[in-house]
Amino acid sequence: MNTRPALEFSQPEVLARLLALDATELDTLEFGVIGIGPDTVVCDYNAFESKMAGLSKDRVIGHPLFTVVAPCMNNFMVAQRFEDAAAEGQALDLTLDYVLTLRMRPVKVQLRLLAGRGADRRFVLINRKP
Amino acid sequence: MSADTVGELEQELEALIQFVYMAPAGLVQARSDGEIVMINPVAAQLMMPLPHDGSLANLFTALEGIAPDLRSRLAAFAAPQGMVCDGMHLPAPGGAKGERRLFSLSLIKLDDSRIMAMLQDVTLQAQRERLLRQQVAWLNAILTGVADYALISLDARGCVTEWNESIGRVTGHGQDVVGNSLAVFYPDDAITPERLLDRLHEAGHSGWSQDDGWLLRADGSRFWGSAMITPQRALASDKPLAAALAADADAPETGYRLIVRDMSGQHDAADAARHAAVCDHLTGIGNRRAFFDAAETELRRWRRMPRPLSLLMIDVDHFKKVNDTHGHPVGDEVLRHIARLMGTTFRQIDVVARIGGEEFAVLLPSADVVIAQRAAERLRAAIDGQPAPTDAGPVHCTVSIGIATMDDATPGVDALLKRADEALYAAKHGGRNQVCGPAVVPSEPG
Repeated sequence: MNTRPALEFSQPEVLARLLALDATELDTLEFGVIGIGPDTVVCDYNAFESKMAGLSKDRVIGHPLFTVVAPCMNNFMVAQRFEDAAAEGQALDLTLDYVLTLRMRPVKVQLRLLAGRGADRRFVLINRKP
Repeated sequence: MSADTVGELEQELEALIQFVYMAPAGLVQARSDGEIVMINPVAAQLMMPLPHDGSLANLFTALEGIAPDLRSRLAAFAAPQGMVCDGMHLPAPGGAKGERRLFSLSLIKLDDSRIMAMLQDVTLQAQRERLLRQQVAWLNAILTGVADYALISLDARGCVTEWNESIGRVTGHGQDVVGNSLAVFYPDDAITPERLLDRLHEAGHSGWSQDDGWLLRADGSRFWGSAMITPQRALASDKPLAAALAADADAPETGYRLIVRDMSGQHDAADAARHAAVCDHLTGIGNRRAFFDAAETELRRWRRMPRPLSLLMIDVDHFKKVNDTHGHPVGDEVLRHIARLMGTTFRQIDVVARIGGEEFAVLLPSADVVIAQRAAERLRAAIDGQPAPTDAGPVHCTVSIGIATMDDATPGVDALLKRADEALYAAKHGGRNQVCGPAVVPSEPG
């Protein structure tokens, strides 16, 4: 049986792999995945993240990420980085420590911010810290 | 519980979660020691970029960089519940681009074990409010009783052109004050030649310049007063009044009017509130708000007309050890003691403020590196030589001091602070209890 090895949060070249996965495959991953379009509207929201945040997909998909879905990321540490990368036509692959307010509790996580040069579809990956 | 009921509860829970998610203000509920129990996204949005331990586990720790006196404000709040601080303005670091922001913090004591905080970014609102406050101050100065005032005519250089009774009544000066610069109404350490020119320029530029502070009477006694300067321009006498007034703004200044108001014995609620807003609650010296307001103003003046300008960054050595050995209340007394020594070391015109838990900054207008170094060394020696009197007995403490002086290569307040911080780091690294500066000049003997 030819099973594709599961994607790891911190593996290199993860962006290309993510772009190739459909919603069902994103749901099998063991870390949170939020995909946004060039207008920051959420187009991907996997099951892992939905469960962690306590938000169902239909409340999230189609809404702007930084103002509606994850306002905690709307600062220069996260949102601004996507803007800057897009403005400069640069790729983005940055992992940083962060605190999310999932279900209103402070939760330490690692975020990985991903964008290709074209900045069409960008991703925020969320990994719980041990 | 039926599946339907569970389903309904889940829906409602999700709706509530999203409601709090999308609240446009930061909300935090914590225990009285600051341990965060609940926190919403906007609170994280605003607090994550602040310097802290990266975990948002404790509210006071997370806000220590911008509100170092929060713990002591809560401790001093005696009532069983209520508003500990209401819309306190906190200067905060800006984004990667460096622009400064202003936060508003309200802290509510829910009961003996729980507190609630609301945090908002009010940068834009504050700019609008500042304009409004200035207008109110201007009106207040005009409308509040004439008996308090001295109306003094100044020439284009800021020197008194003629005497009148109000000058005698409020300042005690006689005819011989004519020809003196307006600096004669200020204590020596509250004015410099550059500050005088700044005030005249600002009056000419915005139509008025007001300052509150200690003023000097002819007999050498001080009084708390307000000094407002407005420009006097030559009205074109051949035009109808309306046209002449319209042209007023462009006419060159022929002189200035100085209005001195004696405010001793006036303690309005407005003054008390203003005091609370610009003073550090623990030590009584300036807080971050006072410091950054003053620093932005001084830098604006510097850009218009460069002159010496220095900044000291002062950090208490081994402060954590003091707290761990003797407890926080003793640590607080040490900070108060250091603040008192700072009060006696620096001039009135210097801006002395507590900007962090154990960090102080002093802005020295018109002071070059030699003057700054002398003052810093005086302070260092005073602190080293006088242990703090505390409930645990005298506690010896020392400070490390970094000096930076303003120059063309420094774009703004944050950059100047950073340079002073680097010098402070060198002082720490060099063994602490010392002063480090840019081009530190060897001290002259005596």
